[in-house]
Parts: sequence; structure tokens; C-alpha cells
Amino acid sequence: MDFELSDDIKEAVVRAKEFANKYFTEEVAEKSDFNEEFPTDIVAISKKEKVLDFSNPWKVLVTIEELVRRDPGLGISVTISAFGAEIFMFFGNDAQKEKYMNPVFAGKRTLGLGVTEAGGGSDVAGIKCEARLDGDSYVLNGGKMFISNGQIADHFLVLARTSPPPSPEKKHKGLSVFVVDSKSPGFAINKLHGKLGVRATNTAELIFDNVRVPKEDMVGEEGKGFYYIMTFFNISRIYVAAQGLGIAHGALDRLIEYSKKYAPVSETGELNENLQLAIAEIATRVEATRNITYKAASYLFKFTPNPIVTSMAKFYAAETAVFATKRAIELMSLHGLTSDLERFFRDAKILDIWEGTTEVEKLIITRMMLKEGGA
Amino acid sequence: MEEEYEILENTVKDFNAKYVENNSLKFENESMGKEFVKLLADQGFFSMMGQSGEEVADVKTLSVVLENLAKSVPAVAVKTLLANSFLSLVKDPEVTEAVANGSKSGTVTFSDLLVGPGQNGSLLLSDGKIKGEKQFVVGSDSDFIVTLLDTGELVLLKSGFTAGKKLKRLGFRSIGFSAVSVNSSDYEVLSKEGRKELEKLYYQLSIPVAAISLGMSEAVSQKGLDYAKVRTAFGHYLKDFQPLAFELTSLIAEMEILKRYFEVLISTSPSRKEAMFLKHKALALAKDISKTSLQIHGGYGYLEDFGIEKFYRDSMALSVLFHNEEHEMEVLSTLVFETKAGFV
Ligand SMILES: Cc1cc2nc3c(=O)[nH]c(=O)nc-3n(C[C@H](O)[C@H](O)[C@H](O)COP(=O)(O)OP(=O)(O)OC[C@H]3O[C@@H](n4cnc5c(N)ncnc54)[C@H](O)[C@@H]3O)c2cc1C
Repeated sequence: MDFELSDDIKEAVVRAKEFANKYFTEEVAEKSDFNEEFPTDIVAISKKEKVLDFSNPWKVLVTIEELVRRDPGLGISVTISAFGAEIFMFFGNDAQKEKYMNPVFAGKRTLGLGVTEAGGGSDVAGIKCEARLDGDSYVLNGGKMFISNGQIADHFLVLARTSPPPSPEKKHKGLSVFVVDSKSPGFAINKLHGKLGVRATNTAELIFDNVRVPKEDMVGEEGKGFYYIMTFFNISRIYVAAQGLGIAHGALDRLIEYSKKYAPVSETGELNENLQLAIAEIATRVEATRNITYKAASYLFKFTPNPIVTSMAKFYAAETAVFATKRAIELMSLHGLTSDLERFFRDAKILDIWEGTTEVEKLIITRMMLKEGGA
Repeated sequence: MEEEYEILENTVKDFNAKYVENNSLKFENESMGKEFVKLLADQGFFSMMGQSGEEVADVKTLSVVLENLAKSVPAVAVKTLLANSFLSLVKDPEVTEAVANGSKSGTVTFSDLLVGPGQNGSLLLSDGKIKGEKQFVVGSDSDFIVTLLDTGELVLLKSGFTAGKKLKRLGFRSIGFSAVSVNSSDYEVLSKEGRKELEKLYYQLSIPVAAISLGMSEAVSQKGLDYAKVRTAFGHYLKDFQPLAFELTSLIAEMEILKRYFEVLISTSPSRKEAMFLKHKALALAKDISKTSLQIHGGYGYLEDFGIEKFYRDSMALSVLFHNEEHEMEVLSTLVFETKAGFV
């Protein structure tokens, strides 16, 4: 067991740090946040400079962590362009990989993933969006809610029902995944405004009104969509855990900086113990998050994913990010409230919600443990 | 609750329904506008605290008003709190009349009590002029400011100051929040023992600040209850899921206990310790309950349309703008131990 990162992964960390230092200025971060504006220019530069090296998932993981540590909104915007691409990798055919996946990994195209609907996100099998076969294409009707990259993606992977469930208990059957071109006739996009945080990311509602999707743009087999999406979540949740790690570590950085600069000290010249213990607690949680996230990643990157550890990492990272940002603001008082930490605090809460809420993650852990007998 | 408070509560409820609820996003994020501020003043909401020389001022009616204003738009309650704080310190009839009737606005800077020495700018009086800069001024867009000089006097600045670049604002976005540059010969010294005076007011505000927290908790928990009764997932109402139901119920239990304690405190003459107990717990509760309610709303909770996320932001902002965890716990520990405690 080796807890050291290899040299090339350490290099990726340094590269990410340098990129964030250069481009994630407070001015840009604040503007994107205030105006709810996707940082198009920075994303373009990041693609040109190949900040995300998709040839090595460890590099992707540490890059997310480092960029988000500097600024969550910008960090996530820069690292979310290929959201959903692993579905092509594992279930797409060669033509789809060539046409849709490769341009995304090459930074030439942007992808989005449409699972959640207005009526529900946790209950994935309960979606209502329909795809009906008509000649040599499917016709999509329905909508998707809260879709990241909604206005900027070139294509979306969309989960839709292609056949009625065989029984109420088997709702997860009869769902399929389609690639939808954002310029398709009948496809409408409404930007969602007024998010609490991650306001640099683009979020939209998608509406399908008789949108035609060629048969060959169905990914994998008809009826297996639920399984594909769950497989994908078992990958993406590790990256969400890395987001949580970045946010929590960012909060810790700021609290430590504050402690050196402004914090009151006792008569013996030491930091007050209340603050010392708080720093220790946050630092320990950050370390625990890193260990569990890297453990989940090491299972996945060896192609032996462990969904129990993955869900543990995702929910624990989310809780740590929320906890760390809250405690840091409370302790830094006006210095925290008036610094970029207030943005971290708002951004952190999304991690409890997207790609499986914290409650859902915990249910997955226990249900799988009962089924499989241990993590 | 006593009858007079019930009547007051209904008055504020009507006021909210008539003037606040339809404009809540604007009042929260942009500006309240002069007309609305005048309406608030016309209700008599700005001058409810009186000028008490005692350690524990009569903040009962003010607290009931704040609790209920905070249920719709917490920023409106904070605006009201600032006006009352100001009027409790200033005596100049021209100034007080203008602030009480809403034609002018006034604020008090508490930041000297919240951050360490030298971290809040510097204001000095020399050759008949007050010059310098004060950091972290809540209500920096006001016409009058009561603030502390480095030399300890509490002064009323009537003109000769300008608000700087807006600071980041987690909550109460419609209320000015920035540093203020001062170059003024138009001022009045209110007290030579300014810090003491300011501290006295700060502790008098413990119950009003707690009241705002409780108002927020009531509103945001109600939203959680309502949503959990209509939203379904996996074929069940959210209210039927134990993690959500139990957590919200437990927090509501805490809230109801605190409300009872609040009612007891406002109908007696509470000690500083009791008032601080309430503030300490109510601020924490507002944060916890906003978080839980947001979580119950899932993705919708993260968007402003559902009126949840503002409570998440405002409850944290309140606990920083009118409270300092370490400082207050030191004071409270000393009151609890009845001897200096919480210091090494
Ligand atoms: C900014 C943003 C970006 C997003 N991006 C995307 C995207 O790109 N693609 C996409 O498909 N979706 C996206 N989402 C949607 C997100 O994944 C969903 O919001 C999330 O899955 C929760 O679904 P919901 O909002 O419908 O909440 P609901 O499913 O209605 O859940 C509401 C509450 O009930 C709880 N709950 C549900 N079931 C149970 C249970 N059995 N036991 C206990 N508690 C339960 C949940 O934990 C939650 O607290 C995004 C959301 C946001 C806010």
C-alpha cells in the first residue's frame, strides 16, 4: 500500500495549480458568479492547454481537486465539458465513439447528460420522457430539468423510456439512452437563473417536442439505459467527491491563512484553542475524504469499481465540503464573509444534491452492504 | 403569547402579505426602495426600542416585529433592526425624526466588536474633523452613521462620508455593505465611553437578533413541511422518508422549545445571560433548519424561485454580522461559570 502519488500525477497537480493561479483570478471568479456567466474564454484556454489529461483518470481526479480548491465555480466549469462521456466509452459503438466521444475528449465539443426531470431526480427509474420508434428514428417527447452545460453542450445523452415497465417494481426496465443534437428541430433550452452557488456553471431545462433522433444514435442496447446511467454515476461520483475535496481543502487553506494573519491569540501567544481544534477537525476530515476518494478511485481505475466505497466517498466529501465551509466562515467572522469563502460556502451545498443526494448515497451504501455483506 | 403580541404579530403578517411577499426577490437582492422603507417607518417599526439607559432594554415589541418580518424577507428585518439600533443611540430630534419617518436612514457599525483591534480601519478626530476609513459597515448606504473612533468616542456622522466598493454579500444583498471613507466636520459625539455604549447596545440586541433567527426558522421549516407533503419520490411522499421526516421534526422540536423560551424572555426581564443563551441557540438553529429544508427541496432548493436558498445564506450572514462565535462564547462562559472562563 503506497499513499504517495506518482511523479506524473504530482506534475498534473502542479499544472492545475499553475493554471488556476494564472486564470482563476478573483475578478473573473466574482464576475462569473455575480452574472451567472459561464467562463467561455477560460474553458477554451483550458482545452487548448489540455489541462485535463483524459488519458490518465488519476490526473483528471487531482486536476479537478486542485482547480476546485482555487475556485469551485470556475473549477467545475472547466472540468465538466465531457460530462457523461464515459457512457460512450463503455457502452457506445465505434462510430459513436468516433463521432461524439473523441471530439469531447479532444476539447472540441461539449457534452451534457439529461437524466433528472421536473418530477424527480432521485427516482431515476420514474422518469417520464418518452422515445417512440417511428421508421428509422426515435421521436422524443418530454423534458429534463437542471441540466449542466444545458446551453453550451453540442450534444446531450438523454435517458428516455422506450417501453412500458413490465411491472411497477421493474420501472428501471424499458429505459434507453440517446444522443440528442442540441440543434435538433423541436428541441428547446431554457436557462435556469438564480442558483445559490456554482453560478459559473451553466444549468438549463431541456424540452423535447417531437425531437427526432436517428436510430443509430441510441447508445448500447434498447432497454438498458438505467443500468448505463447507474454505471456512469459510479464513475462520476468519484469526480464529485474530488470536487468536495477541493472545496473543503480550499476552505481549510483560507482558515489557516486567516489564523496566521488575523486570529486572536491567547495570553501565551498561541491561537485560541477553539480555533486550533476546529482547524484540526477540518484538516482531519479533509484527509479522510482524500483517503476514501482515492480508495474509490483506485478500485474504479483498475476496472473493479466498488459502488459502496464510491457512494461513501461522494456523500462524505459533500458533507465535508459543507461542514468545512460553514465552520471556516463562522470562525473567520467578517473576514470570511467578505472573502471568496462565501462563494465556497454557497457552492459546497450542490454536492449534497447532484449526482445522487446525500440521503440516496447512504441508502445505496446500506442496501449494497446488506446484499453483498461488506465494503 | 400575550394578547398585545398576538395583535402585533397579525399586523406584521398583514403587512408582509400586502407589501413584502410579492416583492420578496427584489427586496432581498436589489433594493427596498424609498417608498417601501417609508411604509415600514409608517408602521412605527423603526422606533420600537426606545432609549433605555438600562442594561436590558425593552426589546419585546421590536422582537415580535422582527420575528415576523424575517419570515418573508430577512433583509427587511435587518433593515428594521439597524434603524432601531440607530434611534436607540441618537438624540438629535432632526435626525431621529427623519430616520423614524423613513425619509432618511441610519445605521450603527458593530464591526469593532466583531473583529480584532486594527482590523476594522481607523477613524481619528483631529482639527475638528473626523478622518479615515471604517471597514465592514452594514448599512453603508445610510444617510447617517453611528460609529466608534479609535480613541473610543461614539460619534454620529451626519455627512462627509462615502461608501466604498460593495463587499461580497452572502446575505441581505439589498442592504449596503462596504467600507466607508470619512472626511467629516459634520458630526456629533454621542458618548466618550463609546465602546461600552456600543457593547451595551450589542447585548441588548441579543433577543432581537434571536427573534430574526426564529422567524427565519419558522418560515423555512414551514416550507420544508409543505414541500415534503406534496413532493413524491419512489412512489412516496417525501414526508414518509425517515431521514427527512425525523431530521426536520427534531429541528422543529428545538425550534418550538426556543420559541417558548423566547416568549418567556420577552414577557419578563431577562438577564444578559438568558438573552445570550437564546441568541446562541437560535442562530445555530436557523442555519441547521435552512440547510435541512434546502436539502428536502433537492435541486429546487438550490434555485432562488423556491425562496429557500436565501434563508441558507441569510442565516449564515446574520450569524456573522451580528455575532462572533469566539467572542460571545467567552462572555457567555464567564457568565455561566460566574468567573472568568474561556480564556487562557
Ligand atoms: C445546479 C444543478 C446541476 C445539475 N446538473 C444535472 C445534470 O447535468 N444532469 C442531470 O440529470 N441532473 C442534474 N441535476 C439534478 C440533480 O441530480 C437532482 O437535483 C438530484 O438528483 C435530486 O433530484 P431532485 O432535485 O428531483 O430531488 P428529489 O429527488 O425530489 O429529492 C428531494 C429530497 O428527497 C430526498 N429523498 C428522495 N428519495 C428519498 C428516499 N428514498 N429516502 C430518503 N430521502 C429521499 C432527497 O435526498 C432530497 O433531499 C442538477 C441539479 C442542480 C441543482
